Amino acid sequence: MDSPLLDVSMSKSFGKIDVLRDIRFRVRPNEFLVVVGPTGCGKTTLGNILSGIDKPTSGHVRIMGEDVNPHIHNISYVLQEPSCIPWYTMMQDVTMGLEIRGVGRAEAVSRGSEVIKLVGLEGYENYYPWQISGGMKQRVAIARAYATSPDLLIMDEPFGHLDAQTRYLMQIEIMRIWEQDRKTVVFITNNIEEAVYLASRILVLTKLPATIKKEYVVDIPRPRDLTDERFLEVRAEITQQCEIVE
Amino acid sequence: MNDKQKEQVKTVLYNILSLIVVAVLWTLFSAWQQSPFFPPPADIWKAFVGLATQGDIEGISLARHIWASLIRIFAGFAAACALGIPLGLAMGLWPRMYNRTRAVLEPIRFIPPIAWIPMAIVLLVGFSRYAFLIWLGAFFPIFITTLLSVTRVNPVHVNVAKVFGASRSYIIRKIVIPSVLPDIATGMRVGLGIAWMCIVAAEMIGGEMIGVGRLILKYAELIRMGEIIVGMLVIGIIGFLMNEIFIVVEKRVFRWRSEVSID
Repeated sequence: MDSPLLDVSMSKSFGKIDVLRDIRFRVRPNEFLVVVGPTGCGKTTLGNILSGIDKPTSGHVRIMGEDVNPHIHNISYVLQEPSCIPWYTMMQDVTMGLEIRGVGRAEAVSRGSEVIKLVGLEGYENYYPWQISGGMKQRVAIARAYATSPDLLIMDEPFGHLDAQTRYLMQIEIMRIWEQDRKTVVFITNNIEEAVYLASRILVLTKLPATIKKEYVVDIPRPRDLTDERFLEVRAEITQQCEIVE
Repeated sequence: MNDKQKEQVKTVLYNILSLIVVAVLWTLFSAWQQSPFFPPPADIWKAFVGLATQGDIEGISLARHIWASLIRIFAGFAAACALGIPLGLAMGLWPRMYNRTRAVLEPIRFIPPIAWIPMAIVLLVGFSRYAFLIWLGAFFPIFITTLLSVTRVNPVHVNVAKVFGASRSYIIRKIVIPSVLPDIATGMRVGLGIAWMCIVAAEMIGGEMIGVGRLILKYAELIRMGEIIVGMLVIGIIGFLMNEIFIVVEKRVFRWRSEVSID
């Protein structure tokens, strides 16, 4: 086994409420790890801690052996809430991470164009968020996350606010992108089908306080077919796990 | 002409219609009352022409009154912005500053500018009296809106920057300030309105015989309603025009917003 890129072993509580209890897992480079859990089980808290926005109450989150720190590590985080900056055009928004890291304007714009093309939004570079649809905004957030070529990409229910159709198309798109560059991804969702479609490995969380209930390695070849027998089998198994959780 | 333009033309026409309706009602009312306290629009127009061409009882023309008031308002308003915006920003960013001085700031906010008149007369002279009272009226709406707006900055936007390792200064410059600017503009618009409301109070104590507020007071002593109403309308119309200009500028500056409030 490769040395882990991400090494998590921590608990988090807010006051008296235990949110995450003894969450331990490791992520290898180039892995697509999906964390599935019921609504309100602290998934967003997990995303915030992995990305360094929030700190665990005890334990550690290490990236390549060092405590996670946005000033050192090259992490990107796609948040669940719509996150486009209202006063930024798409190009400004997508290149924000590069600007913060001190990349020159010309280089940033050229990289920005690349990732905007990657998510299929070319031609909209000068649009403001209010001028584009919800699905496009989420693609901007994904492009922004990719622009900095992160070592670790964390996504917290990135398609949660999208309609079923757009969501499906986005899943295909995210897989297409991942197959090209094999970035290490931690993807958090409450949608089991989405998890089975995307994951190389799945962690199932219990409800509050969240602990890791079970781990699945998904070895169905890609691109996966949602109606494939093996796919439905894995999906049913995980669904069953989740029902026991409830 | 598209639907939007049609709607705009309609809006303008209806506003003109509203004005006409009010003028007609006023005419009918004054004809019915037959009282010097309700001069008909024709008399108000005459009073206006008189004030504009011959000036008031002391020969000071309406334009000079307006100019004097405008300068006072701008002085007080500019001081209110210069103090209210930075202070609101600072206290919003460092809430402790506000929390620990709250007992001083908040009571002052509720003292109406008129209650400050005796203090202003005793402590200040000349131009500073006007500026001070107008400053008092305009400062708090600007300060408080800025302060509250900073606390309402969307944490998601801050987090987006944080994950990339943004410095505090980047977050303030690129996230916090652009996010609060529209609210600051709203606060300024409200502050400007209150500044106009304070002008009469300010000019009551100013000593100088010039200014739109003073004009109203002069004719109040003579109970000449025509000139008083001209003074009132002048304040109303200039305030209205300033507000309209403000809205146009806001829309230009905040292009990134899909809509701008027009209250």
